[in-house]
Amino acid sequence: MNKVSTSLFALAILVILSALAAITFGPADIDSSQLMACLIGSCQNQIANIVIWQVRIPRVLVALVAGMGLAIAGAILQNTTRNPLADPYLFGIVSGAGLGATIANISLADNLTIALPLAAFLGALFSVIIVVFIAKVLQRMEQLLLAGVAVSFMLASITQFILYFGEPFATNRVIFWLMGSLARVEMSNFYVIASILLIAMITVFALHRQIDALLLGDESAASLGVDVDKLRLLMLGICAALTATIVAYCGGIGFVGLMIPHIVRQLIGVTTLKLIIGSALIGAIFLIWVDVIARSSLPHAEIPIGIITSALGSIFFLFIMYRSRAIT
Amino acid sequence: MKLTSLLFTLLLFSGATYAELNKELTNDESKPTIIALAPHIVEMLYDVGAGEQIIGTTSFADYPEAAKKIPRIGNYVRLQLERVIELQPDLIIAWKSGNPSDDLARLEQLGFNIIYSSPHTFEDIANEVRSFAKITGHTVQGEEVATKFEQALIKIKKRYQDKTEITGFYELWSRPLTTVAKGSWPQQFLNICKVKNPFEHVITPYPQISIEQVLPASVELIIQPLSVNQKEREAFNWEDWSIIPAVANKQILQPDADAMHRMTLRSLTALKDLCAEIDQTRSFLQQKHS
Repeated sequence: MNKVSTSLFALAILVILSALAAITFGPADIDSSQLMACLIGSCQNQIANIVIWQVRIPRVLVALVAGMGLAIAGAILQNTTRNPLADPYLFGIVSGAGLGATIANISLADNLTIALPLAAFLGALFSVIIVVFIAKVLQRMEQLLLAGVAVSFMLASITQFILYFGEPFATNRVIFWLMGSLARVEMSNFYVIASILLIAMITVFALHRQIDALLLGDESAASLGVDVDKLRLLMLGICAALTATIVAYCGGIGFVGLMIPHIVRQLIGVTTLKLIIGSALIGAIFLIWVDVIARSSLPHAEIPIGIITSALGSIFFLFIMYRSRAIT
Repeated sequence: MKLTSLLFTLLLFSGATYAELNKELTNDESKPTIIALAPHIVEMLYDVGAGEQIIGTTSFADYPEAAKKIPRIGNYVRLQLERVIELQPDLIIAWKSGNPSDDLARLEQLGFNIIYSSPHTFEDIANEVRSFAKITGHTVQGEEVATKFEQALIKIKKRYQDKTEITGFYELWSRPLTTVAKGSWPQQFLNICKVKNPFEHVITPYPQISIEQVLPASVELIIQPLSVNQKEREAFNWEDWSIIPAVANKQILQPDADAMHRMTLRSLTALKDLCAEIDQTRSFLQQKHS
């Protein structure tokens, strides 16, 4: 086994251990013998059983797949656009989801359980479609990111306008919703995210050589027989579907897609296959532990998970900028 | 912003102790154990005699004094589902507009019995007091306090209904300058105390406005509620605008924001005090004009 496979194997073990360890954390008082009993299905305490199976396990599993999904979406976008700052959120996905959530909160307040994730998903997808459309019209796919930033601001302003004239409490709900949380997830969310993640990974594994060719530049890739625009659009679509689904269930969890691939490049490698597998594993470990912090660091409340990821992410971002300054 | 400062206080003050209260209280069938998810709900439950049945609440439930000892299970951003499941309440009373709807939906899914509070007027308060009293097994006391509240409300309304209207500006917040309009909670105070709000018909209930819009309204009275929780709050500096009659005549009232803005029986005392203060301004203006 070479060095890369050894470290990937070690990371995979770490993911499993993290998930198991994360189940032991939480505000409810459950000791380890109770926990073991509940896990193997011989639970004496009904309350502990509900807490573990209906609250903690769905949370840990969703953290696992959401961390994987956000990290690989970032990795794919960074490699296909050859831009180290590409991140699914820069395509206006969060502001699109925010607009969807706002409209749901204002007009469908009685049916939020279904309406909110659906509206957020549609909003996120809508924003990506506009971004791609603008980039197409401009005939320059490399300007995707700039178009994304502009669309982001546009959608955010519509959201704010609606909120200003809406019910005052809706603003609170939307703002806190956007801060992100895994508190609301249930097992069905895990199945949805996991299946989209699976499709995304299979597609990327099948096309990893073409994506690697893109790293050499558009002309070189084209000369190797890659349909550059088509490939980029397909990858963007996959990332959009993946991120939009995660955002719809978990709210805004920023910076995971940006920072995890950079860590992986340092530790494991830059080519697509290594990057994707590494990002998935490290992303999963990262989000599992961030959620543990979110739910167990304050005695009587939760910290929205997006606050923690953005805080860590922004420091990391500055660190990258500092390092690149030192090199040049 | 108000929101951020609230968030900070709530982070700072979340250090209450878990009491073993719940275990002793869960035995009586007709007196269900309750998780009350907003300060005003806690206050109403104490008013009808159901305070001892509360086994969990959210941050800021600080009235009456005994409420400070109730275990906290979250704040208005997020509830700790695990703790709610652990406490096993017979009943959860939630605030429709103020609690995280996804958490409530999840609790309903898990089979908890949730009823909602959503008071918008003084009349709603009396109705909710009655229904909470009934569901918690305190019908008699609930009826008593609700009736007393309604009678006091009628008395106040009667006292001021024939008074002459004066034009007043309600400063809900100073930066940005924010006032109230129809559909907002404080607008009722203005209606009952016979204050004409120049911004009453603005489309949003809590409009942001500029001083330029206040100037032509020839405001005779400024109401500037202040909260004890916001010591650092900088109220709008009206001294610079002596062209406004209320400023020239020094008719600026500073009622207690906490008493006015919490939708409970106590709000009536705030109403009574505010109307009385406004009436003093009214007499002052009448003397000045005669």
